[in-house]
Amino acid sequence: MNFELNEDQAALAESLSRLLADRYGFEKRRALTASGAAHDEKTWAGLAELGLTALPVPEALGGFGGGARDLLPAMQAFGRSLSMEPFLASAVLAGTALRLGADEAMQTRLLPGMASGEIVSAWAHDEPAGRHAPLWVETRAERKDGGWKLDGIKSNVPAGGLARYFVVSARIAGAPADANGCALFLVDAKDAGVALREFRLVDDTAAGELVLTQAAAQPLANPEDSTRTRLAIQGTVAAGIAAVCADMSGAAQAAFDLAMDYLRTRKQFGRLIGENQALRHRASEMLVSLEMARSMAMAAAVAADDASAEDSAPDLHRAKLSVARNARNVALGAIQLHGGIGMTEEYAVGHYLRRIHVLDQMFGDADAHAARLAAALL
Amino acid sequence: MDLDLTPEQRAFRDEVRTFIREKLPSEIRERLRAGHPPRKQDTVAWQRILNERGWAAPHWPKRYGGADLGPMERLILLDETYRAPAPLPQVFNVGMLGPVLMKFGTPAQCDHFLPRLANLDIWFCQGFSEPGSGSDLASLRTAARREGDHYIVNGQKIWTTTAHLADWVFALVRTDTEARKQEGISFLLIDLRTPGITIRPIHSIDGEHHLNEVFFDEVRVPVGNLVGQENKGWDCAKFLLSNERTGIANVGLCRERLDYARELAGRYTQAGKPLLDDPKLRADIAMLEAETRALEITNWRFLLTDSEQKRLPAFASVLKLKGTELQQEINALLARIVGPGGLERRSADEVTHGPIAPRYFYSRAASIYGGTTEVQKDILAKAIVG
Repeated sequence: MNFELNEDQAALAESLSRLLADRYGFEKRRALTASGAAHDEKTWAGLAELGLTALPVPEALGGFGGGARDLLPAMQAFGRSLSMEPFLASAVLAGTALRLGADEAMQTRLLPGMASGEIVSAWAHDEPAGRHAPLWVETRAERKDGGWKLDGIKSNVPAGGLARYFVVSARIAGAPADANGCALFLVDAKDAGVALREFRLVDDTAAGELVLTQAAAQPLANPEDSTRTRLAIQGTVAAGIAAVCADMSGAAQAAFDLAMDYLRTRKQFGRLIGENQALRHRASEMLVSLEMARSMAMAAAVAADDASAEDSAPDLHRAKLSVARNARNVALGAIQLHGGIGMTEEYAVGHYLRRIHVLDQMFGDADAHAARLAAALL
Repeated sequence: MDLDLTPEQRAFRDEVRTFIREKLPSEIRERLRAGHPPRKQDTVAWQRILNERGWAAPHWPKRYGGADLGPMERLILLDETYRAPAPLPQVFNVGMLGPVLMKFGTPAQCDHFLPRLANLDIWFCQGFSEPGSGSDLASLRTAARREGDHYIVNGQKIWTTTAHLADWVFALVRTDTEARKQEGISFLLIDLRTPGITIRPIHSIDGEHHLNEVFFDEVRVPVGNLVGQENKGWDCAKFLLSNERTGIANVGLCRERLDYARELAGRYTQAGKPLLDDPKLRADIAMLEAETRALEITNWRFLLTDSEQKRLPAFASVLKLKGTELQQEINALLARIVGPGGLERRSADEVTHGPIAPRYFYSRAASIYGGTTEVQKDILAKAIVG
């Protein structure tokens, strides 16, 4: 058993924190949001320079072959700084889907460019009717003129507007909830029949609704191999769960730190508010929640990396459930301890609740994972 | 970063599991599984079996009959004990007094008491709390005045768990009434057969007798039974209260009770269907299992990692707070599951019908003893707010 970062992980985390402190202070982040930009290009270039975009890419394709454990401190740093970079969408999700679901030629074509940060891809899997069902796919794929055409709608595609390619799940056979009958496809954002309605999520990050109308698509590998597709989707979702658990625990840490600073500096009734026992006890409860979230972010990373281990599947569900719940508790407490200022958009603390709320809704919310664990009890 | 046991640790776990399976009398196992507290004879019998293996006091050095186990091995032993379930080694002897004697006692005290503590030849209880001194322990007033080779003890202790089963008590007494409150306290070992001692039962909200009042009226205690220096007993008390961290989270207990909740929810029915068919109940179980896992990993993280201990030296309060909360929620869940079927008051002889509802009532003590939840929050607040 070991709970410490290795040297490489610690060094990368430190460089990344420096980069984000420099580029992503809360005021800069606000200015970025106000400017209408979907992300900060210099930060993205910096991430590539640090080798972060290459971290999850296999070594043979110009990457470092890192796993969820290696990404954990980085994702925590993104959460702390309220990052709007398309790292989760491209490096984690689309990257994992390609690594697990694409044949060699496709991997060789895309992953080196994603490793260098030049290509941004997005993972387009969730559909409006599926809500939190993990394998709900209505989007249809049909063979036409020697190629494939897709029809369907993918909702809340993270970083959709920044993506040059989409990795899209689509159904060749069967009903929407069938575990089999799906394949993964690559769709070029510039092709005809590919429309993206861009919008901001409630945490200011960029997303979009992808509408595919007879859109040209290239299967990542043999489209008949639906077992591989299913495993690739599950593996991508697992990587996503680990990443957002880490992100939420980082966001909770930042909200916690802000609240503790506030307790130590804000005065009311002639004394520091941090002298009031009711507030001190609330702070202690937040600390307990924060520690639980940190622990389960680690559990999620280990479970995503060691997918075959006995505890892996239940740990992913437990982590998503527990981190979301505990991180949310911390954010709610942090707002409460701030009072009125915590309610304002110009102050950072509320943004952590917004971020945690968005991430809780990805890959199944706390209720969905509780229900899945509950079903497994039978 | 990984959450796996090493091959050696896995082998140790298997060894412990086999040992318990082979040696634990099934009647004890069944009683504990059903929710009965261990009887004195169960604890004594099991501790002696463990002691032959050095596992009654696993963290003590070998020369005193321990096994010198590191923190992970201790946790494994503890988890397997809960998992069985088997009685825990008697905590006042093994977890509290033993380490205090090794740190503060004379060689003669160590040689005399430690083997007897490990083998449970002597049953100690803890005489700390007083009617006027609960969370504010240092305000205690039970007094000891020196007369020749004896201290003469007068006063009263309360909430003394198992005093009615015990042979001895280790007690904090005031030996200097002039000094500041922490500085006039001494740590005494008192034979409960000494004239002048009266033990009265306190029946707790589960209807059972675990707790007592202990009265001291001109009780003569040989000065040789002083542990550490006179008026320095607070050091012993502080050490004792902060020393025992391995078991503070009670993860193994939470797991065992949750497993039992699942088992009962499959056995109890409502309108002909097992309770486990109810998705709400299943989701509640799943939620508590997830939180227990979070506590388990947090427990490992702090107990096994120096850098984490340095980051948050008050970590024991995190473990106590969360562990207490979960224990109480799980006991409430069990009481919900047995429902109307758990209302009939039954005798302790009915092995298969454990006192589920009474145990739920008594679980409220967990957030009161060993530093209340509010005291733990004060400790954490000092660490994080200042």
